[in-house]
Amino acid sequence: MAAFTLSVNGKIHTVEAPPDMPLLWVLRDRFALTGTKFGCGQGLCGACTVHLGGEPVRSCVTPVGDVGTKRITTIEGLDPHGAHPLQKAWIEADVSQCGYCQTGQIMTAAALLAKNPRPTDRDIDQAMGENVCRCGTYLRIREAIHRAAGQRKEVAS
Amino acid sequence: MTSRRDFLKVTGAAGTGLMLGLYLEAKPRPGEATKATFRPNAFLTIRPDGTAQITVPKVEMGQGVRTALPLALAEELDLDWSKIEVVNAQPGPDFKGMQTGGSTSVSGTWDSLRKAGAAAREMLKAAAAAQWNVAADQCRTEKGFVLGPGGKKLGYGGLSEAAAKLPVPKDPPLKKPADYRLLGKRTPRFDGPAIVTGKAVFGLDVRRPGQRVAAVLRCPVPGGKIKTWDDAKAKAVRGVKAVVEVPTGIAVIAESTWAAFKGREALAATATWDEGPARDFNSSTLEAKMRAALTGPADDARREGDAGKALKAAAKVLEAEYSFPYQAHATVEPMNATALVTADGAEMWAGSQSANRAQERAAAALGLKPEQMKVNVPLIGGGFGRRLGTDFSTEAAQVAKAAGGGPVQVVWDREDDLRHDLFHPATLHRLRAGLDGSGALTAWAHRIAGPAVLRSWTGGQKAPSQAATESNGAYDIPYAIPAIAVDFAEVEAPTPLGWWRGIEIVPNVFARECFLDEVAHALGKDPLRLRLELLGERGTVKFGRETADIRRLKKVLEVAAAKAGWGRKLPAGRGLGLACHAYDGRTYAAEVAEVSVVKGRLRIHKVTCAVDCGLVVNPAGLEAQVEGGIAFGLSALFSQITWEKGRTVQTGYHDFPVLRLADMPAIETHVVPSAEAPSGMGEPPVPIAIPAVLNAVFAATGKRIRKVPLEDNLI
Repeated sequence: MAAFTLSVNGKIHTVEAPPDMPLLWVLRDRFALTGTKFGCGQGLCGACTVHLGGEPVRSCVTPVGDVGTKRITTIEGLDPHGAHPLQKAWIEADVSQCGYCQTGQIMTAAALLAKNPRPTDRDIDQAMGENVCRCGTYLRIREAIHRAAGQRKEVAS
Repeated sequence: MTSRRDFLKVTGAAGTGLMLGLYLEAKPRPGEATKATFRPNAFLTIRPDGTAQITVPKVEMGQGVRTALPLALAEELDLDWSKIEVVNAQPGPDFKGMQTGGSTSVSGTWDSLRKAGAAAREMLKAAAAAQWNVAADQCRTEKGFVLGPGGKKLGYGGLSEAAAKLPVPKDPPLKKPADYRLLGKRTPRFDGPAIVTGKAVFGLDVRRPGQRVAAVLRCPVPGGKIKTWDDAKAKAVRGVKAVVEVPTGIAVIAESTWAAFKGREALAATATWDEGPARDFNSSTLEAKMRAALTGPADDARREGDAGKALKAAAKVLEAEYSFPYQAHATVEPMNATALVTADGAEMWAGSQSANRAQERAAAALGLKPEQMKVNVPLIGGGFGRRLGTDFSTEAAQVAKAAGGGPVQVVWDREDDLRHDLFHPATLHRLRAGLDGSGALTAWAHRIAGPAVLRSWTGGQKAPSQAATESNGAYDIPYAIPAIAVDFAEVEAPTPLGWWRGIEIVPNVFARECFLDEVAHALGKDPLRLRLELLGERGTVKFGRETADIRRLKKVLEVAAAKAGWGRKLPAGRGLGLACHAYDGRTYAAEVAEVSVVKGRLRIHKVTCAVDCGLVVNPAGLEAQVEGGIAFGLSALFSQITWEKGRTVQTGYHDFPVLRLADMPAIETHVVPSAEAPSGMGEPPVPIAIPAVLNAVFAATGKRIRKVPLEDNLI
């Protein structure tokens, strides 16, 4: 057990946790930030994606002891009004089905767009390749990303 | 059985409101001392401020019921869609039919929801008419208002108290589709904004005051039991509060999810197991048994003409074996439920597709009456039939009780979820076709061998309808062939089974539509042309308990083929394939897949789908179901469950992969317009996806694939 000072969505929190506790569970169980989801605990499905210093990470395999001073951004903090271009595009493109994987999808996509404002379909395949959606919303995810990037939908290369 | 009575009730709370519903009988409900009593199916509440609350009697797992079902009611009532609230029903006397699945949510509530909305509309009109002293038929409704002659206008909110005093019409007039304002238009998913901001609440997100978390140590072999264990190390993990025995295993209860997992890990290291009767079960032994059952006795599902005789007399007999493996649901939200037991009752939060049965069974497990067990169904992170099972919800009730109260959230990790799925069982198929000298198909025999899923629903009993159920998709082969024999040979397996999106229709249609392609090739006929010929000029045809309209099936086949450009020349290594099915005789679907195979690697470029599902409530929702159903079906090209030493070999997304973005083909959906009542779209796109693709693979490469998943993901 140790005390960690974490920056979460722009606020500083102190939390007592074992250093090996994954950030996912600190967020969900200590901070009641349940927008970040548990899907596998093995870093394989992307449902737990958050940003550390703007980089997308799988919080289920990121020990809280490794976070340090990096700024943590969760879906709740992506935009103060829930109006990030991706969140708006997600509604316009009517992406979600069950919705469980979608916050992880959006966080991964947000990190992609921050680095690559005009991604091709191939860029999207690569960046989003490990975000599982069992409902199969993939086509609309791609469309929403293009919309948020201000592009018309590209023909697959 | 109680007789149904329709009548109104005025709710209390803030001022008066209009609560409408279909009531079973007037009887006081516990806790409602001051109000008129009733036992309603209560779909609708209208508040004085004009907001409308619609209670949805099916559960939302992504298939869109929280949008589509309110739309039916809102349409008839002419509600302002921007002012509605949607709440989930709770199982109980008001809602006895909450079971959600089988592609029946829209079709099953179509009449009751429209009727509820129409009745309310008539009552509001009557109330306004009385106030204005005009005839009700001089009034009309629009977006939450009653409009009367001379520009009169009153909002529903202001009329609710007066309307509540009126009798409920038993047979209110329903709108004609031509007058629809909401239905048939693209309506964005109601929960979209909550989902994209992380505010949507799934089972795993439930947080009750004082909530603890439990992880259950279960035998990896289904049916096995724990023999010995030492809980000292588990209890020594910080945050672990208790270690208790429950029927399914040992529950480690902690103040956080991580502590529960760590505690369970420590416990697992000390456990010894009695692995039970299934400990030697493995996939190869089952396969051998299934293969042996491809000949010999079986239960008839369809017998027309004498297929055996016709095959003997045939000029040529084609024969092939098809194989479809065990599958798992692998919903991204693993199984979980939160339960709380008090002195006089219990409460549960469970993402259950069988809320009524979940309530009954959890109550029974705790020695309670169903009405003492309050069940809340949050949003569901993927169902696909897995959550029709009540294992995870009953277990949570048992854990909460063993923990001495609650609330306790039982969390399954990915390995738990995969290992303890309610699996879709493997099947082997033996198909034979008889051809005569003139190129006609004279006989069709389809034997299916495998475990019977239906037994998981009948408490292990063999139902009279077992053969028909297990051969759904095979026995209702829609093609006109003079002699048809379809039968099912049950092979037992000690694995938990359940209903998986499409159920037996998936493997049966895969085998059927691919083998029919083999017949087409043997006859030198275009697969589309052969199907159209075999469908012929028939109208409705009866298959046992099912009736299908062949014209509607032909239509979707023709539309899919035309839109996909069937018959166009394609470059080498690229091909088109098709498959079609009349799903349960109610929804008709056809898919054409375009694929290429380069150095053995399959690339699915596009799937063109044509559907006829009756009236379309929400085109956006329908397209989502088609896209999602195709993705779900195609996923089975790449993953399977196999068994070794009684347990699954696969334990997570690394060895049970699901379709990813890069694998997803482009999808084009075409709806054949229909005036029929909505007939369902949850499952129909699933069974025809793989055969369309594999038929395209044959067209592209000449290679016939009869077994899925693809070995090493290669052709």
